[in-house]
Amino acid sequence: MHEIRIAEDLSAIVIGAASRSGLKKVDRVSVCFGEFIQVVPSVFETAFREAVRETPAADALLDIEIIPAELSCLACGTTYDRESETNACGVCGSEEIEVIHGKELFIKSIEGD
Amino acid sequence: MKNILDRNSNKAEENRKLLSGEKLMMVNIISSPGAGKTTLLERTCEALGEKLRIGVIEGDVTTDRDAQRLKKYEIPIVSINTEGGCHLDSHSISKALEHFDLGSLDILFVENVGNLICPSQFDLGETFKIAVVSTTEGDDKPSKYPMIFSEARAVILNKTDLLPYTNFNIESYTSDLRSLNPRIKMFQTSASRGEGLSEWLTWLVSQMGD
Repeated sequence: MHEIRIAEDLSAIVIGAASRSGLKKVDRVSVCFGEFIQVVPSVFETAFREAVRETPAADALLDIEIIPAELSCLACGTTYDRESETNACGVCGSEEIEVIHGKELFIKSIEGD
Repeated sequence: MKNILDRNSNKAEENRKLLSGEKLMMVNIISSPGAGKTTLLERTCEALGEKLRIGVIEGDVTTDRDAQRLKKYEIPIVSINTEGGCHLDSHSISKALEHFDLGSLDILFVENVGNLICPSQFDLGETFKIAVVSTTEGDDKPSKYPMIFSEARAVILNKTDLLPYTNFNIESYTSDLRSLNPRIKMFQTSASRGEGLSEWLTWLVSQMGD
């Protein structure tokens, strides 16, 4: 359900950006979410459609990219994907890790004319 | 690239500055519905109420029942009714903070809406988050909801009195937690029976002035 609030904030940013750039119509909005944000794309799409209704972004295509978690081991320096349910390093087993990717919540681009 | 939740993050930073200026610790409590957040708060108010000046922000979806339960401690409580919303955000907290005399408080608890996903995405400006899990929910919560458990400073396993009646595996729960967050502090309590609380209370007090 956090999809709704994220979609509302996205909609406000898109509409603001369109107005500042003089766009009459927004054609495409691209966003990326890290795996840890646990956004369900279909739910987000529905929430976004509702948020942009009757705005210049009402017909915009929405591209959602989910970025898989990528972790880095602070002990041995290995960079690895979070393959199982654990975050621990697959090479040395260390639990001292750093999240490199997986917490993204970004707008990549807003296109329009 | 622009962060979509900038608006929330910016307000959270404002809240954080305000609280830090007042030397007030704010603890954001996150759990599933029914894990025992309110009971834990009741026990905490009973134990620390005379030594510390406690305030509570109660996030509730439709009622103010949790706030009602805490009224007997005669502490300042502000209720935020999210009207169906699944989490609190920094703007609703900012409005709630206006109702407190912040300088007269030592610790402010935020009881978030019962939910393990959404509240973990919204920074409120808290000093730190804690998670509460109960034994009846199963031992797989850390693996299923990695965000909250990797961000929380401490996690309380509640309802330990019910352990004999569940298939909760403490070893696998503990090792999952460690692998998500090696530094997380773990406590085990039965808040309803008042068991295991002293470690939690001692630790909580030790975090003040951090």
